[in-house]
Amino acid sequence: MIAPRWRKVLRDLWLHKPRTALVVLAIVIGITGAGAVLDAWSLVRLVTRDGYLATNPASATLRVDSVDAALLAQVRALPMIRNAEARRTTRSAAIVNGAVVSALLFSSADVSASTVATVVHEQGSWPPADGSVVIEHSSMSFASAGMGDTLTLQLEGNAPARLRVAGVARDQGLAPGWMDHEVYVFVSPRTLAAMGGKASFNQLQIVVRDGNGASFDREVNRRAAVEVKALVERAGHTVLDVDVPIPGRHMHAAQMDSLLMIKGAFGVLMLILSGFLVVNLMAAMLTGQVREIGVMKSIGARTSQIAVMYLAVAFALGVIACVIAIPLAAFVGRWYAEFAASLLNFSVDGVPIPTRAIVLQLVVGALLPVVAAAFPVMRGCGISVGESLRDLGMSPRDAGAGGGVLRGASGVARPLLLSLRNAFRKRQRMAFTLLTLAMGGAVFLAALDLRAGIRGSVGLIYDEYNKFDLTIRFTKSHAADSIEHAAARVAGVETVEAWTGARAAVDHSDGMLEGSFALTAFNPATKLVAYPLEGGRWLSDSGANELVVSKALLLTEPSLAVGSDVSLVINGQSTKWHVVGAAVSGPSVTAYASRATLSRVLGDSLARTIVVRTKAKDGAAQSELIQRLRDSLEHDGFDVESSQLMQVNRVVVEDHLLMVAGFLLVMAQLTVVVGGLGLASTMSLSILERTREIGVLRAIGARHSSILAMVQIEGLVISVCSWLLAIPLSLPISVALGNAFGKVMFPVATSWVPVWSGVAIWFGVVILVSVVACAWPAWRATRITTAAALAYE
Amino acid sequence: MTPTTQNAAPLISLRGVSKDYVTPGGSFTALNDVTLSFPRGGFIVVLGESGSGKSTLLSVLSGVDRPTRGEVQVGATAVHALAERDISAWRGRAVGIVFQFFQLLPTLTAAENVMLPMDFCDRWPSHERRSRAMALLARLGVADQADKLPSTLSGGQQQRVAIARALANEPEVLLADEPTGNLDSKTSASILELFAELSREGQTVVMVTHAEGARRYASQIVTLADGRVVAA
Repeated sequence: MIAPRWRKVLRDLWLHKPRTALVVLAIVIGITGAGAVLDAWSLVRLVTRDGYLATNPASATLRVDSVDAALLAQVRALPMIRNAEARRTTRSAAIVNGAVVSALLFSSADVSASTVATVVHEQGSWPPADGSVVIEHSSMSFASAGMGDTLTLQLEGNAPARLRVAGVARDQGLAPGWMDHEVYVFVSPRTLAAMGGKASFNQLQIVVRDGNGASFDREVNRRAAVEVKALVERAGHTVLDVDVPIPGRHMHAAQMDSLLMIKGAFGVLMLILSGFLVVNLMAAMLTGQVREIGVMKSIGARTSQIAVMYLAVAFALGVIACVIAIPLAAFVGRWYAEFAASLLNFSVDGVPIPTRAIVLQLVVGALLPVVAAAFPVMRGCGISVGESLRDLGMSPRDAGAGGGVLRGASGVARPLLLSLRNAFRKRQRMAFTLLTLAMGGAVFLAALDLRAGIRGSVGLIYDEYNKFDLTIRFTKSHAADSIEHAAARVAGVETVEAWTGARAAVDHSDGMLEGSFALTAFNPATKLVAYPLEGGRWLSDSGANELVVSKALLLTEPSLAVGSDVSLVINGQSTKWHVVGAAVSGPSVTAYASRATLSRVLGDSLARTIVVRTKAKDGAAQSELIQRLRDSLEHDGFDVESSQLMQVNRVVVEDHLLMVAGFLLVMAQLTVVVGGLGLASTMSLSILERTREIGVLRAIGARHSSILAMVQIEGLVISVCSWLLAIPLSLPISVALGNAFGKVMFPVATSWVPVWSGVAIWFGVVILVSVVACAWPAWRATRITTAAALAYE
Repeated sequence: MTPTTQNAAPLISLRGVSKDYVTPGGSFTALNDVTLSFPRGGFIVVLGESGSGKSTLLSVLSGVDRPTRGEVQVGATAVHALAERDISAWRGRAVGIVFQFFQLLPTLTAAENVMLPMDFCDRWPSHERRSRAMALLARLGVADQADKLPSTLSGGQQQRVAIARALANEPEVLLADEPTGNLDSKTSASILELFAELSREGQTVVMVTHAEGARRYASQIVTLADGRVVAA
């Protein structure tokens, strides 16, 4: 049998269903927001850490001219080497829906027995059988190919090969194919040979030993890589570059952690704001119960007994909210984790959300309302019996709190004055409501600022820094003049330049060739780029080995500081270069050089890429031009390997980056809902407390419309104050967000000036939220009859 | 009417009790040096105009308010010296309070309202509480209303349920604050008769009222004016 006090608790909850539902909803929103981020973070962390470790990633990868069985055996015999494997990567063209796109083929001797950087077999056959291919999961959409389809691949100078997709595998060490516009394919050495490729291997992957396991000490791995490089070179081979990743960490895991941490901060913020709402709602509940608390005390209830009753209510509401919120958070979190993991070429499919994440949500969800309710409960239960039994709603003390507002003001209508003073009567409640709404506004404005910043920065890259519209890559190199002239003849082409490029790596003093990067070469007087310099100067025509490095490259390779002389290994040859400048060119890790200089260094004056600025700027005209260009160039004997429209590239980049801002906007919208609920609860509470006062107003002639206006104006006063507060609050948030986003994903311009259109939109939103949130309390206020109000006690 | 002398040792005694209140308009003295004693089993009626200090007297007797000066003794308990955390428990066991507006909890039935003090004070085994509540309601003539919510009962019925609730833990003292103030004359008379009957059965009842008609039921009458005892 349930004790009467608990029956009272349950019946009170049932009696005040809307308020009970509001408390549950507030907690549901808070837990769903924070829980979704926690679930996503846990899942992504799980797959990027445990999933990545399960592939037994290489301690170092050496790109070499060739690796034979004898060399591999020598490497394996080194005492510090736990395992070593060789494979070949071959660049190829893939024909997808009639268009030529870039493909990367991977082949190794016995891929099924591979123990280093293993791939996850997902579907069909594995290893790739002769005459067929296994496609990498993340390339499927870009290649428009799935199981059983036929993929057309063409190696330079060879006939196209039509190969059946016999399986699907996932290589978690690769950036997603859809993101890099690359078709990743696994083939057997025989298939590669049949396509016209080389059967020998050009990559050496090593796992460094530490006792019986793999070494997770990057310095140890680095020293081992230096020894292996020396061994390879002593054997007469050339090492092009060496990559020693952070052991046990996926290359983008830190970035993803940071990104999820930013979102986690917003999740926690939402939780806190939900807590504010629960504080207000519990205060509302207790305000309505003050007299009953007094009665219970008068019949023997101790303060602690009553406090336990209400805290138990809060706990129960938290548990109910958890029952709703935890599955919801799991659904949203899994959806977002799948998206986030796909950016790293992982999948969370089938991976359970860690139990500790669920337990944490349950604990926080159940305790949040208890913690939030603690203060109002202690205050409500601490009221003396006498005071409780004399409770008439608003005390003269409260009236004094708001009475100072516009004291002495003349020319302000009395009802308006009353609304303004009412808004400030309960200062703590006002502060919570104001803060919740203002934080919603601040997050909303910050997300809009970030979105504008992303668009602005992407715009800078595609409109200001890079002044070309499309690129075309040929199947083989040609004389620069000939391809430039051939393209320039096509109507619609405004400017065309032939560019060259190579991979380069810094030759460190210990012989390491770590962190290779792209070296792009063009005429120093190029009209197709305009990168602002952060230091030093632009490339000259002097013919000296001059480099300008991108800011992004400088961050990853500090040895390339402006003014420094460095040795770069390009195609296995070490040459001296002087860094003359650092430029802002977006997120690309690239160095720039004069085409003539690079041609001299490479001993090859041919170019394989043209970069074109078009006269027409609309997408349809550019698409039409790219087709005409391809046709014309093919007609002139220049076989095109692939072409890329910058606008398409821009949309893809922008869409992915904007997803982050989009997520924050969703968070902001949820915060707005919490803020709206807060305002509604505050106004309801205010009406409840002022029942007698409203009755008096009715008795002295106030009409329905006056009461409605009074409540709505009170809500609007709070909302407009929150709007004003949100503007300065949003500025540090948007700058911090922009800086964090810049570090994690993409440098964006941050500003201490808000997006004014966003400020205007937010004003409209708060007004709407206020009107909607106050509609019910205002209607309730008009329902109060004079007789009922005066008998309220 | 003269003070009863039926029991030698008083159950309740107030010695030099004063109560000052501080308000925004300044301080005022609600009780001023009140010394009284009430015997066990008496029906004490405290009369006085509004603002005479009647309700304050009940407040200090029940421990709802502490006297600014003086001592309050109920049975063996020095109420004025009780720690705040002990007052509710003491009040639950030793005092039953009846209010003018009944103050029944609206979401509990009549029987549940009566069981509530037993629940808070853990005074009776839980399996006995319902039957005890029913016995009290029967004694007060409202057993047939046991499972109804207060809002469905008449004023007189609600007050009877409230008295049953006040008696739930067998308190030494029943304190009633204008218990007939919200009732019609016929119902008021029946409630006063009930208090007198309880008093005859040994229950000490202290009732404050400004209804002069209560005089004829009392075993002792105290008249207050401006916080002072003017007749006792």
